[in-house]
Amino acid sequence: MNSYPIIDIEHLTQDTFMIRVDNPNIPSKSGQCFNVGLDSLGINREYSMYSSADSMYLDFLIRSTEGGVISSALKKLNVGDSIEIDGAYGEFCLNEPINLEQQYLFIATGTGIAPFHSFVETWPNLNYKLIHGIRYEEEQYHFEDYQKDLYFPCISKPSDGSAGSRVTDYLLKQDLSTETLVYICGNRKMIVDVFNILHSKGISGDKIITEVFF
Amino acid sequence: MRIAISYPPIENEHGQKAMVSQNRNVQFFKEPTYLLPVTYAQAATYLKEMGYEVYWDDGNSQLKTFDKWLDDLVKKAPSVVVLESTTPVMKFYWKTVDLIKIKLPSSIVIMTGYHSMRKPEETMEMSNADIVIRSSNVDFALHRLIPFIEKNKNWRDDYLGEGMLIRLENGELRSTGDFRQVEPLDSSPLVDRDLVQWKNYAYENGNFLQTPGTYASSVIRDCMFGKCTFCRYNGPDLTFSMMSVERSLDEYENLINNYGVKEIFDDSGVWYRGKEAREFAQGIIDRGLNKKGCYFGINTRFEYLDEATIKLMGEANFRFVLLGYEAADNETLDRLNKGYQLQHVESCLKWLTKYGMHPHLTIMVGYYWQTQNQLDNTVAEVKRLMISGMARTLQVTLCTPLDYTPYHQECIREGVLLTDNYDDFDMSKLIVRTPIPHDQYYKAVRDMYSIAFHPRFILRQLMFLTSFKKKDWQFLFTYSLRAIRRVRQHIFNLTRHQNKTSSQEIFVENN
Repeated sequence: MNSYPIIDIEHLTQDTFMIRVDNPNIPSKSGQCFNVGLDSLGINREYSMYSSADSMYLDFLIRSTEGGVISSALKKLNVGDSIEIDGAYGEFCLNEPINLEQQYLFIATGTGIAPFHSFVETWPNLNYKLIHGIRYEEEQYHFEDYQKDLYFPCISKPSDGSAGSRVTDYLLKQDLSTETLVYICGNRKMIVDVFNILHSKGISGDKIITEVFF
Repeated sequence: MRIAISYPPIENEHGQKAMVSQNRNVQFFKEPTYLLPVTYAQAATYLKEMGYEVYWDDGNSQLKTFDKWLDDLVKKAPSVVVLESTTPVMKFYWKTVDLIKIKLPSSIVIMTGYHSMRKPEETMEMSNADIVIRSSNVDFALHRLIPFIEKNKNWRDDYLGEGMLIRLENGELRSTGDFRQVEPLDSSPLVDRDLVQWKNYAYENGNFLQTPGTYASSVIRDCMFGKCTFCRYNGPDLTFSMMSVERSLDEYENLINNYGVKEIFDDSGVWYRGKEAREFAQGIIDRGLNKKGCYFGINTRFEYLDEATIKLMGEANFRFVLLGYEAADNETLDRLNKGYQLQHVESCLKWLTKYGMHPHLTIMVGYYWQTQNQLDNTVAEVKRLMISGMARTLQVTLCTPLDYTPYHQECIREGVLLTDNYDDFDMSKLIVRTPIPHDQYYKAVRDMYSIAFHPRFILRQLMFLTSFKKKDWQFLFTYSLRAIRRVRQHIFNLTRHQNKTSSQEIFVENN
């Protein structure tokens, strides 16, 4: 049984929360995901590591979705309840050793920011820029963990009623070096649209790494 | 411009035919199984819709000899020939490419498939192919490439669409970079059934409980999980794309109402789960398609579908559900990155059978670490699941490293691969060094297939089959005959190397 008690839950918005367990000391790399499930349900879902790879904790950033059996059940858990964890899996990782001269562009929508949070926590001196597509201001999860001038939220429904912006709008206005390594994580439509923009700006497919969240 | 999407017939010394299509493992069968290569069928449809003349050229399903297939292809003289290949038949394909280039020197030959996409330079070195497409999204890749070739004389130098290795006029190779990993699957057309002559694939397929059956345009391209180390759908270069539920439902409605199909199988690496799975099943019910006598089949994973979803799928007339049950020990599941826990296997199978579905287990043996204890455990568990009625049918394969998957690369790294001759990768024998003699694994294969002849299992099957809504004894008889024929064939294929000194010698030599 790969069952681990929850030691903390932080509710970040009405739907989004962070679950923390003690680091199970499973070999893992920043950016990888784990299968998280509940014994009572008999099913699991993949969630990216949100914490640093060398943290004493393992954190997951989860958004409860309508009809999402696992995410809804996880949302109802309390500290002390247990979750099942399998992993780690996946290749959505930075090549090590990290070259601090390398310019990284991280592009996420919603909770797709999780692996990038893990990257930045693991390597605080990374040469990165993070573009985060969200609907509301409150979805800037733990924005204080990023350097202020490196985190760029694109809010589609600002609370002040002003015109919203999207990741794609923002990208279209940017000058990008063709040597930039681009990591994209989030919904499929955003990934397809962003790839087309990057391609039009001369960034080769060799420099684009993607992870589909939903 | 005429484009051929071609599958040459391949026959081995036993008179068995190699079945190569989509992401299928190549295996040689005497009694063939004709699987529609779905992505290529979508590619053909896409090109036809763009106004090209498409020659759907599956020599296997069209029952051609190699010579007849080649003669017909030469007569058609297509401008472009697209081939799909995989590890065990790479050498055959390289020869075939060269033969095509001799007979049709002005035709452009494009090689695709999971082996060549991971080793494109090798295919360019070993054959005269003009292009290797390094993408599993062949439909999208061709959709961009073919019009460019048509309009640009200097396409070899000028094409910028990603995911290609192109041979230049001077013989040098030019890469256009990695391919895009996610494509808008809703933009690729649903398969044109008439173009691909769907009836050629409608009967000889073990995944069909009743016929005529057909494969749906896959709702997931590659795999939503995509982490299992032995699987082609794993790698840093692959993720997945998904088709919308409504679009897939439209296709099912068309297939049932206009083509009269009695079974639709979606061969996505894993089918929908959660919200999409429920929306699809509910959509089938809402459209009344569950009352048309058509069964639906899918691939899924343990711990993917919850009971409420499975219940809805049962109401929607889902029947054949294929699940990878690679071993009954957690060490093996962990090493394979399977991502599920053994304690949830039984609940999933119970839900499936409770709601009228037909769980089909796919088991593998012969991992390079697999001990006698692990093997015995797997055989015992499979017997228990089958005889207790939790699973209905099974399929056992020898785990063979293929197409430079992570497992393949691990075998190379660990020095356990016993051959580098691609012809040996046809899954008919073990090709990795193992802790116990290979014969033990062949015996396990035979033991598991022999469950089909256990009186308690036969009784269970009869009870199950008669519980089908279709009270048709002819159906029961023909299905059982097909099943027995396939069991005999699998036992022959997978155990013909048993007790041969060669496998023992390999074992002794390397230990």
